[in-house]
Amino acid sequence: MAWIKRKWTTAEADEWTKEDWLTIVISPIAYTLIMLGIALSFLLLPVGFVILGLGIIATIVMHKIIDPKLKAISDEYEKKQKDYILELERSVRWEDENE
Amino acid sequence: MVTLTLLDWFWLIMFMILMVGCGVLFYRLGKRSESDFFLAGRGLPWWLPASSVYATHTATDTPMWVTGVIYRYGLSGLWYTFFSAWCAISAFVSTRIFRRSVAYTQAEWNTIRFGGLGAEMLRGWIAGWQVFMNMFILGWVGIAMGKICNLAFGWPTWIGLVLFSSICAIYVLAAGYWGVVMADFQQGVIALAIIIIVSVWGVLAAGGPAGIITKLGEMGQSWRLNPFAFTGWFQGDFPAAWFITMLVIAVLGGFGMGTSIDWYAEAQRIQSNKTVRDASYSIWWGTLFVLARNAIWAIAILGFFVLFPNIQETADYELGWFRLGFEYLPVGMVGFFFAAILAIHLSTISTHLNLGAVYATRDLYKHYFKPEATEKQIVWFGRIATFVLLIGSFFYGLTMEEITSWLIFALWLMAAGIWLPSILQVVWWRFNAWGYLASWIANLGFSWLVVWILPAFGLLPELLDYQQFWILMVLGALIYLPVTFLTRPENMDHLVKYYIMSRPIGWWGPVKKEAEQRGLLNKIEKIKS
Repeated sequence: MAWIKRKWTTAEADEWTKEDWLTIVISPIAYTLIMLGIALSFLLLPVGFVILGLGIIATIVMHKIIDPKLKAISDEYEKKQKDYILELERSVRWEDENE
Repeated sequence: MVTLTLLDWFWLIMFMILMVGCGVLFYRLGKRSESDFFLAGRGLPWWLPASSVYATHTATDTPMWVTGVIYRYGLSGLWYTFFSAWCAISAFVSTRIFRRSVAYTQAEWNTIRFGGLGAEMLRGWIAGWQVFMNMFILGWVGIAMGKICNLAFGWPTWIGLVLFSSICAIYVLAAGYWGVVMADFQQGVIALAIIIIVSVWGVLAAGGPAGIITKLGEMGQSWRLNPFAFTGWFQGDFPAAWFITMLVIAVLGGFGMGTSIDWYAEAQRIQSNKTVRDASYSIWWGTLFVLARNAIWAIAILGFFVLFPNIQETADYELGWFRLGFEYLPVGMVGFFFAAILAIHLSTISTHLNLGAVYATRDLYKHYFKPEATEKQIVWFGRIATFVLLIGSFFYGLTMEEITSWLIFALWLMAAGIWLPSILQVVWWRFNAWGYLASWIANLGFSWLVVWILPAFGLLPELLDYQQFWILMVLGALIYLPVTFLTRPENMDHLVKYYIMSRPIGWWGPVKKEAEQRGLLNKIEKIKS
């Protein structure tokens, strides 16, 4: 998957990119396949095991695509969290909005 | 009626000690601060909130609801439970945006996203509605427990409602969200174990997987094995148009915040994670377990149908999965089954007690009445709010009769008119507080009118729920779109601040451009693939 970006700078990771959109497409498909796969596998139907296998593969692929980006976002963001919380406490005060 | 043996009582008592003990263990952590009482200090690894997502959405009424739709529609009834798939996209879109805002609640997020009087009114509205809604959910989940105790032990329904919600309140009052999430983890494990055990037992009682398939064929009911067994595109009571509507709602709903009533509970879990990445995974994996659980239940209910094919009353067949446990498990396991039902029950009750309390405390008491409140006062107010919610839930619970119709109304139709606005507030910079507030007020009136009042007076035919959804969506848009365009956009300073903090997806061009002009964003060269 060379066309999937594996190394992200924090600024790059802040943008919405094709990796996000691929994840957005794959994620519901993985849910659907796993739900149906488990139900039909529980009935011991061969097609259920095939669907479940496809769901697991979709989950692994999705994880490979999005995890590096999520790591980059988190690393950068957590450094700022304390400041963000202080800013939040200030910005959501009703008194400040009216000043 | 179920008779408990000594071994059954052993399971039950051990579990109750474990549960209440959790509250005592985490009492000191819970009382440290507001952040600890409501978000466990925002320091949890993803698997703990994930287990809480799973445990919370495995409530006492959930097997009744899942049983109801599977018994009625076969495996295609699974799609009724697929509403939780909004987390598929949300985990990587709205979860990420919400976690970056660090708001405690959705109501608080509204004052970060919007500004001025409109945002304040919205915050008060959402907070008040959430306090009411959590009380309401506590009532319907509580009365489901009352029904189960009535089925199993012949107790009057109010005993099951009052007794177990009160026991749950002990550890929620003591340890707040710390108690909730830690108890949820053990409750989630116990619940998953018993769901698998009872379902396997039920399937075997019905003749095993092959036996179920054969018997359904002999009964002329093989269509129940097909997850896509619709009654036509638009005909019948389960048309493909319903399925498409559900997919749109569930999947695209993940772009928004508040497109499902479950969002509000997930929002608390999202913020309790230690990082954005943890938040995404907690929502995604927690929901995957919910969907997997539904699939396991579905097959057990097919087994129940094979065993009891002619039950007509919804209120009777809704109890199918519980009957499998109480009537087919061996002696000594019934106590474990009931302990697991308690686990299922307490995990949901605890969440909604604490969730309702955070809105009452953070968004109403602290924000509007006592902004200078100390951490100690806030924690104590949180406990008082928890207690009030508990008492209020008893009142609501005793006024409800049938679970399924309430759930369909709450999960689907009460969200219909605000579904699209809940997405627009995330993805479209021009959507403002007045537009969103208008959509809420309009939907509240329209949903009752379209679902109950107009049909009752013969002014509107009885419509299927998916038809009601589209009608409510269009009616709502006729109100909130003009309101949005007739009122001013949000203040650009406010929008820029929100954009820098949250980096939302969608149509934010003018805000991004403004942020760049102010030198607040590093311009990025087109990312090379």
